[in-house]
Amino acid sequence: MSDNAVEVKNLTKVFRPGLKKEYVVAVDNLSFEVRAGEVYGLIGPNGSGKSTTMKVVLGLMAANKGSAKVFGLDSGDIRARNEIGFLPENPYFYKHLSGAETLRFYGKLCGMKGRALQDRIAELLQLVELEGAANRRLGGYSKGMLQRIGLAQSLIQNPRLVILDEPTAGVDPVGSRQIRDLILRLRDEGYTVFLCSHLLEQVQEVCDRVGILFEGRMRREGTLDELIAIENQTSMTIENASPELIAEIQNLVRSHEGTRLVEEGHSRTSLESLFIQIAERGREGKS
Amino acid sequence: MPRLVLAVIALAVFGVLRAPLEEDLRERLVAANLLLPPPGQGAFEQMSQSALMGTLGGLRSLVATFLTLNAFEHFSTKSWDDLRANYLIITNLEPRDESHWVAVIWHIGINATANMETDLRLPAFERERRFKEYAFQAIDLAERGLAQLPDSAAIRLQLAEVYREKLKDDCATARVYGEIIGLPEAPSYARRFYGYFMARCPGREEEAYEYLMDLYREGERQHLPTLIKEIKNLEEKLAIPSPQRIPDADPDRPQKMPKTPANVLPGGIVVP
Amino acid sequence: MSDDPPPSTEATPRRTPRAAGKAVPIFSLGRVATIAASTVTQLVRMKTFYFLLAFALVVVAVGNFNIPATPAKELSMIKKVAFGTMDIFAWLFAIVATALLIPKDVEDRTLYTILSKPVRRVEYLLGKLCGVLGVIAVSLVAMYAICALVIYSRESLFVSAEYEAMVASAQYTAAEIEEQLSLIQQQGLRAELGIAVLASFFKAAVVAAVTIFLSTFASSSLFTIIVSILLFLIGHAHHMASSFWLHESENNMAVQMLVKVIKILIPNYQLFSFSEGIVQGEAVVAALVWQMGGLTAGYLVVFLLLSLLVFVDKEF
Repeated sequence: MSDNAVEVKNLTKVFRPGLKKEYVVAVDNLSFEVRAGEVYGLIGPNGSGKSTTMKVVLGLMAANKGSAKVFGLDSGDIRARNEIGFLPENPYFYKHLSGAETLRFYGKLCGMKGRALQDRIAELLQLVELEGAANRRLGGYSKGMLQRIGLAQSLIQNPRLVILDEPTAGVDPVGSRQIRDLILRLRDEGYTVFLCSHLLEQVQEVCDRVGILFEGRMRREGTLDELIAIENQTSMTIENASPELIAEIQNLVRSHEGTRLVEEGHSRTSLESLFIQIAERGREGKS
Repeated sequence: MPRLVLAVIALAVFGVLRAPLEEDLRERLVAANLLLPPPGQGAFEQMSQSALMGTLGGLRSLVATFLTLNAFEHFSTKSWDDLRANYLIITNLEPRDESHWVAVIWHIGINATANMETDLRLPAFERERRFKEYAFQAIDLAERGLAQLPDSAAIRLQLAEVYREKLKDDCATARVYGEIIGLPEAPSYARRFYGYFMARCPGREEEAYEYLMDLYREGERQHLPTLIKEIKNLEEKLAIPSPQRIPDADPDRPQKMPKTPANVLPGGIVVP
Repeated sequence: MSDDPPPSTEATPRRTPRAAGKAVPIFSLGRVATIAASTVTQLVRMKTFYFLLAFALVVVAVGNFNIPATPAKELSMIKKVAFGTMDIFAWLFAIVATALLIPKDVEDRTLYTILSKPVRRVEYLLGKLCGVLGVIAVSLVAMYAICALVIYSRESLFVSAEYEAMVASAQYTAAEIEEQLSLIQQQGLRAELGIAVLASFFKAAVVAAVTIFLSTFASSSLFTIIVSILLFLIGHAHHMASSFWLHESENNMAVQMLVKVIKILIPNYQLFSFSEGIVQGEAVVAALVWQMGGLTAGYLVVFLLLSLLVFVDKEF
């Protein structure tokens, strides 16, 4: 069996909107692979073909040309789907079911039952921190809670590969952070994670390798370091530096030929980090 | 959409295959009276749009029932022509429901005619003309009903009442009672009534005398005051010699079958 | 840069990937049952059973008709209205419930999560159909229970009133009283009425299967509902239309062709109205009921296969 969790080869998908004559090429001769055990991020703007690629991998769509394989099995094969856990963008599950019932439903669809299913549900509810809302109907869940129950649902049958489509779309920074932490945890537990996103910062935080898709074609692919490192630039962050030390460093840089100080200033936290700090402090204050 | 085209073709093949099977089933369901044959075209022409939709939508019984309620409304306002029009549709929708036929014959043949006898707003000539018209309409309805339900005793009993009470036609009354005898749901009094009205039908006196005497000889059970009275009348008419005549009726014997008044529906429900 | 703990960005680390899952059966009745059960729960929690209250009101209202008719006639009318209403509720429910379920799953993307599990599309369709049929069956039984209660209470009331009236008049023999009472009982609660309920179920089942087929390619629930109702009406006029138009020589070829096409493509729903005869008191022919059951099963299988033909390659 293949070492790769996902293998997409020369995938082309063409749509004909309505009864019009012209075609829209959503994915154009795309090839890439997701290795078992890694977190792979497919990034690109809206309409770049990310979701279409995912749907082909999931067997929800058929390719016009090329192939998509999951652990060596054709993506349309029912056995391939047993290896996949999928969380769609903004998932809507049956609103009339509670969190636990939702997990039971998807567990049964995967052939699970009895004690094993019960235990798995309890374990996943704990993983996504929804034990308290287990018996509440999904109609009353927040977006972040829905996303987390969605993630739990995708893991119910203990799949080897987890596919996440825009996992943090529309979720507030705290929820987004929780999902990010969950993805890292999944990675540590040996799951292969394949995610699609247009939120670059998030991808940067969790992915081992990244593919950049634009207008249906793969533009760049590689490890994060490979993609974002600027080979001829170096950055340092110094704590408690005196003005004298900074002046000394500036002189030192000037004294070397061909060297130039590009940027200098106080380190800033990101707005996201600031928001999270405030939210967490608020939460601690309450409890 | 080649898949959809393929599905339509498959649907057509299924349609061709099931057609003869369904036609056979339909015929057998109709023969078993479980399915009604299509209503006559006359019914469609007279139906309101909603009734038509209901009938086309497979709700014939429901439409017929609501039209029956509507007919009772016409009965209370004495709108006899509307009532008859309603029942023409009802009987077209449910031709095998005996109660519809009995009800319409009773309404037109008994109630409408009675109304014509008493409605003083109309001139005498018009009342008589309409009286006859309704009576004959009732006979026509009975014939249509019997075409659908040839073994119906109830329709014939209602028809006999029209002949007996309204048209005073003893010969026709006797003929109808005669038809009832031997039918599966014939009441036991039909045999006696056949004899009584035959006795009053000119030209059939001898036949009636023999028939009533046969009944009389069946024993005490048949020695009802009316039977004895009719035999006595015939004995006079036919000048039967005294030794052959029957003894007089026992005046203490209670009358068994009272004559049904016109405002009593079959089953004994009195209409106010 | 953020001041969070530095995220792990090292090149693909050598973590131990998870082991392969268990084998999956190619077709599983368990999965069908899971989808069917979830459909039942969904319909129950959508509070669809409230329509039974409306039905009970209709039947109780009809049970108290005060019309100048014989007891037998009144019972017959109660029965016709009650069973007619039951029939309408059953097929209308079949159309609306079925037309709402699949497009709603597509719209809400619930279908994505279901079909991305090891579930075959045929299992999904079969599960949905079974779920709807289950709810219809339960509703029909409940409606029948309500009807039976009303009919039985009216019947016993009529029988005892008639008996007392006849005995009090002292003019009728025991046999004559018995004859009169049996006239009423004939129109009362009889075991055959259960077969009439079965007939309504057959009809609703075929309607549901046709609606599932429509909803596999229709663009909206509304479209599915309207077309299903239209087909239902046309499917009843089938025989009437063909006997009327196909034998009229002055009708042109186009009309005749249209009638033939309709006859071939649209189910003959009129056949499934055999409950009317049973409700009117006609004797039930067991062989015919079996054959109608067979025909119903045929329709279900064919329409399910047709739905699958369209659905199996459908892209979401």
